[in-house]
Amino acid sequence: MGKEGTLREAFGAWLARGGNRIGEVAIRRSDSWEGYVLTHWEETDRASLPLKHFSTPGDARLLAQLDDAGRYRPLKTAPNLRHGWLLELKTLDELYSALDFFYPAALGVGAAFADHRLPVVPLRETLDRQSGMYAVTRKISDAKADMVVEACCSSQGGCLKTILWELKPGHPFAGLPPEKFDPDRDQLAAEAGQNAFPLLCNEACNLLVAAIRKAVKKTE
Amino acid sequence: MSGDPLCALLPWTALRGAVFFQFVISKPNRAECALLIVGHGSTVNPDSSAPTWAHADAIRRWGLFAEVHAAFWKEEPSLRQVLYGIESREIYVVPNFISEGYFTQKVIPRELGLPLEGLGRGPVILPDGRTLRYCEPVGSHRRMTEVLLRRASEVAPGVPSAEVSLLIVGHGTDLNDNSAVAAKEQVRRIRAMGLYAEVLAAYMDEAPRIEDWATLATQRRVIVVPFFVSDGLHSYQDIPERLGLEPGPARSLAPERSDVFRNNPHLIQGRELYYASAIGTEPLFAEVILDQVTAFEERCA
Repeated sequence: MGKEGTLREAFGAWLARGGNRIGEVAIRRSDSWEGYVLTHWEETDRASLPLKHFSTPGDARLLAQLDDAGRYRPLKTAPNLRHGWLLELKTLDELYSALDFFYPAALGVGAAFADHRLPVVPLRETLDRQSGMYAVTRKISDAKADMVVEACCSSQGGCLKTILWELKPGHPFAGLPPEKFDPDRDQLAAEAGQNAFPLLCNEACNLLVAAIRKAVKKTE
Repeated sequence: MSGDPLCALLPWTALRGAVFFQFVISKPNRAECALLIVGHGSTVNPDSSAPTWAHADAIRRWGLFAEVHAAFWKEEPSLRQVLYGIESREIYVVPNFISEGYFTQKVIPRELGLPLEGLGRGPVILPDGRTLRYCEPVGSHRRMTEVLLRRASEVAPGVPSAEVSLLIVGHGTDLNDNSAVAAKEQVRRIRAMGLYAEVLAAYMDEAPRIEDWATLATQRRVIVVPFFVSDGLHSYQDIPERLGLEPGPARSLAPERSDVFRNNPHLIQGRELYYASAIGTEPLFAEVILDQVTAFEERCA
């Protein structure tokens, strides 16, 4: 199984079913040639906008690097993708590669979830295996963990992924709305449309672990 | 996989619900394999991951592997998620780190869900049946000496090395990190070649210290090469400040335009000081990543 393997096939099938967005990236077939056109979902009407044109999958990595204010985006699923660009790609392979730069690993994680082979790791398990400077994170209280998750992971300003994990099995988080944990719900604004590829979080990321460390250190 | 004899069969502890086995399998065809380059990454500095991406791009262009991926400890894709995006049945992992240490021996294997010991001795079978080969970090390869010499000669073109003090700058005293040991080893090797008037190591956090460079180095011309995998706060600011240079920006999206690397030689304390960007930005690094794949194959043949 190589470059043209099942992940791309599964993604192609999703496109064929009408998939047209992942996170803040809108996807459409080109009107005039065989290929794909990507824009920020708020700028799909390109005729009225002076968008800067790009043409390689690698451009996606640069477009995803900074927000509108030129600040670094360490979390690519933060709802702050820059505006003002249009990316034209010739093939499904290029499209797949570009989206993998916009939302690293999201396509593979989504495919694993669809195939029922995506493990979900509770936050306590993630924290318990940390070492070095992050070992201290296991000391966080349940209540404080709830607050940090609410502050870091909220779809409004935090992260557009749908959370699949709990604090520990049977202990869901209380601070975020139920739809944040529903894999059938897209986390972007309702007007963005619902033919979106799911952005899923099966395990707390290092940014959240770092935020928990900060919270623990603050109370020590 | 062929029917080659199993040279060793070692049961690993149950991890993430699966039992691992390690055994020697015949060398796979790289064109059917994935290469995963693992970097540290940063939540504040985009330049941290830039060399890892650049090396991945270069190797991808060479078309040697079915897939080339990068993953990071502090950036995306994370080590916990990257394997879901890799389709090949055989995966080589090369840490883009300057030395063996805490990250290469503990954090990366743990986050990839691998056993913590014996990894470099042979392939590991993942719970989903794929085979992963965990190579040594790029900085451990003997060709790193060649990379250092290339960088030193590039930063001071036309300067006769026999009249130069070459200073290899490392971090020193990192927790569980052998970067100082690696820098010392490079000094020993380059010194033995007799190319430079003298070859020295200096560190940020231990003696001999970078700020003593003018005392340590006896030659009028001094070349300083940071022994780091990427540019960042250390190479832009910390080291220049210790050298007495005007520090560059905290971070830059175009390191080659940073004055601190461009304005060579810096005339300071009666010397000509040539300051290079981090060794990990050298394009030759991509070749050494491949050399570590070859080294794994040779070691486990």
